[in-house]
Amino acid sequence: MIEIKNVSKSYVKGKKSVDDLNLEIKNGEIFGFLGPNGAGKTTTIRMITGILNIDEGDILIDGKSIKKEPLEAKKNFGFVPDSPDMFLKLKGIEYLMFMADVYDIPQDKRKDKIEELTKKFEIYNDLNNQIQSYSHGMRQKIVICGALLAEPKNWILDEPMTGLDPKSSYDLKEMMRQHAKSGKTVFFSTHILEVAEKLCDRVGIINKGKLVFVGTFDEMKQKFKENASLEDLFLEITEKQ
Amino acid sequence: MKKVIKLTNIFLKNSLSNMDAQMGISTKSKSRFLLYGLLFLYFAGLIIYLSYNLLDGLIQIQQEEIFIGMILFMIFGFAIVQTIFSSINVLYFTKDSEYLLPLPLKPYQIILARTNVMLVSEYLIIFLVGCIPLIMYGILTGAGIVYYITMLLAVILVPILPVLLISIIVMGIMSFAKLTKNRSKFQLFATAILLVIVVALSISTSNMQDDLTNEEMAQMLVKANGTIEMIKGYIPTIDYLIEALTTNNLLTTIVEVLKAIAITALSFVMYMLISQKIYFKGLVGNLFGGGASHTQKGIKQKEYKNSKLYKSYVGKEFKSLARNPVFLMQCLIPAILIPIIMVIITYAGLSSDGMGFEQINQMVGQMPINTFMVACIILGVIQFFTMFIYIAITAISRDGENAVFMKYIPVPLYKQYIYKIIPNIIMYMVTIIITLGMAEYILHLSITTLILLFVVATIMGVLQSLVMIIIDLKRPKLSWDSEYAVAKQNLNLIFPVLFSMLNIGIMVGMVGLLKNINVYLGLGILAILYIVATIAINRYVYNNQYKLADKII
Ligand SMILES: Nc1ncnc2c1ncn2[C@@H]1O[C@H](COP(=O)(O)OP(=O)(O)O)[C@@H](O)[C@H]1O
Ligand SMILES: [Mg+2]
Repeated sequence: MIEIKNVSKSYVKGKKSVDDLNLEIKNGEIFGFLGPNGAGKTTTIRMITGILNIDEGDILIDGKSIKKEPLEAKKNFGFVPDSPDMFLKLKGIEYLMFMADVYDIPQDKRKDKIEELTKKFEIYNDLNNQIQSYSHGMRQKIVICGALLAEPKNWILDEPMTGLDPKSSYDLKEMMRQHAKSGKTVFFSTHILEVAEKLCDRVGIINKGKLVFVGTFDEMKQKFKENASLEDLFLEITEKQ
Repeated sequence: MKKVIKLTNIFLKNSLSNMDAQMGISTKSKSRFLLYGLLFLYFAGLIIYLSYNLLDGLIQIQQEEIFIGMILFMIFGFAIVQTIFSSINVLYFTKDSEYLLPLPLKPYQIILARTNVMLVSEYLIIFLVGCIPLIMYGILTGAGIVYYITMLLAVILVPILPVLLISIIVMGIMSFAKLTKNRSKFQLFATAILLVIVVALSISTSNMQDDLTNEEMAQMLVKANGTIEMIKGYIPTIDYLIEALTTNNLLTTIVEVLKAIAITALSFVMYMLISQKIYFKGLVGNLFGGGASHTQKGIKQKEYKNSKLYKSYVGKEFKSLARNPVFLMQCLIPAILIPIIMVIITYAGLSSDGMGFEQINQMVGQMPINTFMVACIILGVIQFFTMFIYIAITAISRDGENAVFMKYIPVPLYKQYIYKIIPNIIMYMVTIIITLGMAEYILHLSITTLILLFVVATIMGVLQSLVMIIIDLKRPKLSWDSEYAVAKQNLNLIFPVLFSMLNIGIMVGMVGLLKNINVYLGLGILAILYIVATIAINRYVYNNQYKLADKII
């Protein structure tokens, strides 16, 4: 469960990139965070994950405040950042083992977990190569594997579908569904409506730092029809496909 | 030709703007000007002073012509060393190659532009170390206008040959990189070969000094032509240019300069012909070959073994350092290489003074070795060697945009800072051991002094590493496109030097204050001083661990 309470953030004084945001993502739910480019999605996710300091408000992850108990809070989520270009000089297996050490995964579980994840994403045979030699999609996959290794209760992803081929994109969505089914939380950002429509239990729409809608996808479509300014936003999001 | 000039410009600007970006925004041009201006004046003054002394001595025994050969030879050597270090980066590890290849450019245009970049960056320094002494020569010998023109031509011509030569060798090595599937290992191998060349070069030059400073040297000095003869035998351009610069006959000057130009032009044509054949082979292999080895599928059981976090974190740091040729050359190798080169040079220097080891031992026996002053000198030497270890000062910046990783994993930032500086401390200790080994070999220190020195120097290393990572945290350089921007064109690299200067200054001050103190007591006081400073800085890092990471986003 992720609780975002009255959160604001400005990079530059006087210009709020996230403005008084309130959200609650419940257990067992896939939540899609929608918005055009520059809306404040990444900024919000950076605050949830402790990368950015929160100017005002607080964020709780399974009840632990990222502000006051950062270490405890960080143990409760797995994060897939928007750029997967990391640890390029490490081999795939070295990266995964490093993550396993960071999250303190017991030895007997490592082998099964790594094989399960990497075989599902079909990168098992590449684990002995440096991540540098991976394609964008493969890098995305290895980072996802690293984030899921510790079986986190909350799974946070920033634009995860970018660069994935249809099959991998499908696999990822399946994994998100399974994750939510087992009572855990998935929070991901996207600027593509279609992804959200098929996958999400609920969506939130952010524009220019302000949350303009929270609810189910059907409720959203309903509301767009009624409200002209929201319809513009809808167009803007759809156009970015 | 226009395209070549444009390309050269772009490449040069690219590497220069990396520095600019860090200087701040509005005041940059002024402060940069001041910094470079001061540095330039300092070195120019130094060079004028040195060459005046040398020339004065030579003129008194009427052997001033040796000077010309010496300077030309020095320029040649300088160009070799610099090309060894820059060619592999300029030719292969700049990211713009990736965008360049698809453009409608002819191969020779790219090669020419890259070669120009190497030459131009070399001329900047060579004008300083070459022109100033040669102008001094002109002034002191009352030379005419012909001399100055010839001299300018010489300074332009001499560095070309070594640049071409080394570049071709590097291209030759790198063109094999495509053949070997395992790119990273091959890069290491290529790096190792370059290092061997550097070490061999420093050995052979110190051997030459050896020859020159022996009794033969005295004879050679008398027969000035002998010395020049010896040097110019190796390189035809230098041979012709010495002749051109020292003759009184205008016709000879012209003929000899023309010969030098012809030889250079000929080498250039050959260079262009060969390089077009081998450069792109290696370049493409390097850009797109990427560390795939496919030798082994599936994972061995032992690779699943878990280890303590500190081990795996420090291991990760070392791996990313050692597997990246630029970081390896700039951050890791100097710690080992610089003391070794120094050892070789000092050793050669000592024995060339006509001193065998018995004499040195005798001398050492008469000197009061076990004193605070000697101990401080050794610490100063260690501090000097270690200012080239750039691991801690780039610890955060090396990760680039991936540095945010530190902030979202459930590991306290303080711990991660410490893991990140451990490689720096280890390399520091390697330098300490090499230096102390050398000191022990020459000076025969007492074992207690050695241990105390080791302890004090290690604390110094911890202190330096902590200070450097604080600086990198406060002024990180996270968005870069080539590793070069972090490990070389990074203004933060001045801080290890400043720190070392300050520390050496402190050492000098301590010696002045506590001249006759017992060595153990003195080292004890130093140890306490450094421990207190280290604890204070460490506490600062611990208490501000989250605030210090504010710049990492
Ligand atoms: N490091 C930064 N410094 C200043 N402004 C930033 C920074 N990162 C993002 N912004 C600004 O914050 C706003 C939100 O950006 P972001 O959260 O990245 O949007 P997105 O929804 O596309 O992920 C944008 O207006 C962007 O210009
Ligand atoms: Mg974003």
